[in-house]
Amino acid sequence: MLWLPSYATGPERLGRLAVLVFVALVLIFLIAPFFVVVPLSVSKEAFFTLPVKEYSWRWYQDFFGNERWIASVINSVIAAVATTILATMLGTAAALGLARPEFPYRRAVMSLMLSPMIVPIVIVAVGSYLFFGGLGLINTRPGLVLSHTALALPFVVVTVAATLSTYDTNLTRAGLSLGAPPVAVFFRVTLPAIAPGVISGAIFAFAVSFDEVVVALFLTSAERRTLPVQMFSGIRDQINPTIMAAATILLGLSIVLFIVATWLGRRGQKA
Amino acid sequence: MSAALAGRDLARAVRRSARPAQRVAFLLGLPALLFLFVAFVAPLGALLSAAVENPEVRQVLPQTAAALAQWDGASTPDEPVFAALAADLKRANEDKTAALAGKRLNYEMPGMRSKMLSAARMAGGASAGPFREMFIAKDPAWGALETWQVIARTAKPYTLYYLLTALDLQQAPDGSISRVDAENAIFLSLLARTLWIAAMVTIGTVVLGFPCAYIITITPPAVGRIMLLLVLLPLWTSLLVRTTAWVVLLQTDGVINDILLWTGLTAHRLQLIFSRFGTVTAMVHIQLPFTILPIYSVMRGISPSQIRAARSLGAPALSAFWRVYAPQTLPGVVAGGLITFILSLGYYITPALVGGPADQMISNFISTYINRDLNWGLASALGVVLLAVTLAIYGAFLRIAGPDRMRFG
Amino acid sequence: MALNAPLLRAKGADDLVVFDGVQKSYDGHTLVVRDLNLAVKRGEFLTLLGPSGSGKTTTLMMLGGFERPTAGHILLDGKPVEALPPEKRDIGFVFQNYALFPHMSVAENVAFPLRYRGVRGAEARQRVAKALDMVRLGGFGGRRPTQLSGGQQQRVALARALVFQPKLVLMDEPLGALDKQLRERMQIEIKHLQQTLGITIVFVTHDQSEALTMSDRVAVFHDGILQQLASPRELYDEPANAFVAGFVGENNFVPCTAMRIGPHAHALLESGLSLVGTMPVALPNAAQAMLAIRPERIGLVASGAEGAVACNIAEAFFLGDHTRVDATVPAFGGMNVTIKLPPSTPVPPPGASAGLVLPEQHCRIIAP
Repeated sequence: MLWLPSYATGPERLGRLAVLVFVALVLIFLIAPFFVVVPLSVSKEAFFTLPVKEYSWRWYQDFFGNERWIASVINSVIAAVATTILATMLGTAAALGLARPEFPYRRAVMSLMLSPMIVPIVIVAVGSYLFFGGLGLINTRPGLVLSHTALALPFVVVTVAATLSTYDTNLTRAGLSLGAPPVAVFFRVTLPAIAPGVISGAIFAFAVSFDEVVVALFLTSAERRTLPVQMFSGIRDQINPTIMAAATILLGLSIVLFIVATWLGRRGQKA
Repeated sequence: MSAALAGRDLARAVRRSARPAQRVAFLLGLPALLFLFVAFVAPLGALLSAAVENPEVRQVLPQTAAALAQWDGASTPDEPVFAALAADLKRANEDKTAALAGKRLNYEMPGMRSKMLSAARMAGGASAGPFREMFIAKDPAWGALETWQVIARTAKPYTLYYLLTALDLQQAPDGSISRVDAENAIFLSLLARTLWIAAMVTIGTVVLGFPCAYIITITPPAVGRIMLLLVLLPLWTSLLVRTTAWVVLLQTDGVINDILLWTGLTAHRLQLIFSRFGTVTAMVHIQLPFTILPIYSVMRGISPSQIRAARSLGAPALSAFWRVYAPQTLPGVVAGGLITFILSLGYYITPALVGGPADQMISNFISTYINRDLNWGLASALGVVLLAVTLAIYGAFLRIAGPDRMRFG
Repeated sequence: MALNAPLLRAKGADDLVVFDGVQKSYDGHTLVVRDLNLAVKRGEFLTLLGPSGSGKTTTLMMLGGFERPTAGHILLDGKPVEALPPEKRDIGFVFQNYALFPHMSVAENVAFPLRYRGVRGAEARQRVAKALDMVRLGGFGGRRPTQLSGGQQQRVALARALVFQPKLVLMDEPLGALDKQLRERMQIEIKHLQQTLGITIVFVTHDQSEALTMSDRVAVFHDGILQQLASPRELYDEPANAFVAGFVGENNFVPCTAMRIGPHAHALLESGLSLVGTMPVALPNAAQAMLAIRPERIGLVASGAEGAVACNIAEAFFLGDHTRVDATVPAFGGMNVTIKLPPSTPVPPPGASAGLVLPEQHCRIIAP
């Protein structure tokens, strides 16, 4: 049970046991928050006390009965869908180009493409506010989608590039040698083969946009508020269990997206 | 038989024959690149320029700015400059814009805001000069050389004021640069605090993450896969949701305090939320997957026979691990640690919700300067400092690990 | 350079492919293929043979249109094709790992090239069925490639490359992933298909026995240079240089100086011994050369026999179909010589003295 080789000695076994206990605690630490958010969202009480004494759906009723929450969900979905489409198309094309060794200045371009992932989000938000302000894009959907797409792009590029690294380029060559024009080879041979990676990238893009708070905070005012912004202001003002219901809904969505992406990832490895 | 190509001819021929393929590859990347320039690089450019832009005084005192362009700066200006100032202030009094320029002047010379406002009121009622004497009679400061040096400097289109301030430096009216007094010096210590919190988070994630990655690597695949899911799931969960959970967990009457009381580790409830401990704990939690995954991917590539070989050569278990296995994991530890350090530098949400006033990081100050003080220049300058530090460490990461090491899932 | 095939500029009507001064470099300072001149005859089975990195696969990729020559021309049916994209060349290609499309059924894979040649519907189905029958996979059309064994996948790849009746089929180590027995069966199957269909095949391999089994002619590559282009027998019996002699079959090499005295070619050894041999390619007098003798061409006789070269038996191994003997030869500067004897031949014990018989017609004096 300690996953040690059969030649392990007594002290080794003791040491391994200690490490395993430590790792178990770390894993509990990793998922602990879920065991807080979910129960509190179905607790009848308005205070955050655990364990839950009485269960109730009232906070979910609050959530779905409140126009502000619903509007914020709709705003988030619209922005995330648009971001997903844009980022997936741009990112897949870019990954296809960057997968070719002859791409000029490949390393530099790759580093630039990935940089939205590491530049502090507040800087992106402030810069976008300043730059989009001049273009009249503040508090508009296109402005938010533009910024979210830039943030999501690296995730699509990384995911598709990872899939392409296992893609057999002889498939493309075979398609061409059999007489199919390059565009037909892309749609009939390459795309089906890398589809799991592309869809994973799309899911990542959706998650990035749907979870993003800071840029949305700067670029949107009340009527275009996204769900995370609505939650953020809620936590800042007066934290209440409706936020736990919202968090649980977000959490559920994340888990669904995660399961789909994991499943696709495994399918992609098999192909 | 054609002679074999060599030297420069060969290099040229290779470049020529590679060009069509290069073009296709580049065209595929071009839309994304153009998009990034509009939606990402240009906003960063806007931030950089906002850190040095200086429009307020030029806007409110255009004639004064023009008149001061010819000024030698050696002594208090003559009547024409005062006349221009009077004309500008008369207009500013009508448009109620004097406060705008006054606020900007006040940054560099405290007290200038009220002096501008009262001078504007005076100019509003005055019709004829000489204005020089009129201004000096109103406030002797208008006759001081220093006042005019500051006005001349702030009337230029660009300024170093914000960037200097963000580095705890100040510029005297005569242009010399010096450190600000200890009581006003906040930004270098803010930078140090930000780096320190990021370092603590990095150390925390490596200490917690390294054993996890190791155990995931050596367990049977079925168990390892479940452990990996537990690591990946938080990565997919919204940062806001996780931070919310920590707000609840860390509350004074929250679960962690309940457990501490119940186990008898403390006699009374501890202040966990709005503390450094709470901030770092929540950040470690959020960053842990980013550190574990690169370590895990390196560990997976190390053959188990490495340890067996070390043991067969006579190394005891611990020393086989530390002297043979651990050094080979270093690329993963460095990559994971650097990623976490870089990402930790830019944290905003978590310190804002879980941290106290002493745990706010640069990002939070940027937000505060915009939302509370409407001081875009200083916010942008702080952004430039943060961006420079981040990009420097990103550069180190690219040099050590390369862009292809950035992977998730 | 003198080793290259004769000048091949003439676009003979029976030449389907001509490489004319073709060169390829990726990095701009090293040449992967150096000044290649080579003609592929209509209907022949030509193999490009060489170790990895010799330029054989690059040559095939240039012919298939996946790499552009850095210099020179490739003529297909007399027309230059360097600028022609692969999909317009009408060349069948069988890849090393088959490159079957995993998301399509076997039949869809085979029908793929027909679609781009305007063949659809019933005719396409009929031709797919015929092609699958041809490779003995009739009835497998509905399966996925992943449900087939390696040998079956290999045959699907073959059917797919043949179904559109290309005039030329290229194969890049197509049998490399199969086990030995299956590989030998597929070699014969492919050879038969080529003969019945009358197509031209250019085949790449690093396996010399595969090359000898299947080819009408073999082009041996080394360091980006075409070393020799000849029939399998000629290659084996009359290697143009030491590389070919060593790469195709086994050989014993003894450094020597080439001398032509009257009608005879002589190999002058350092020990002063002079052996009469043949010179497949004329070498200048006093040139540094190699004396190459195949192990199975050497006879073993009693010590001191007339015309024999004295040797000492070092070791002997019984290998079933033959006995392999290693002997040291003082006249060769103490070098080891390997001899293959019929299994029934008695072999003197290790340490014993014996004599080597080196027949004149099997002593090749060749460039080092």
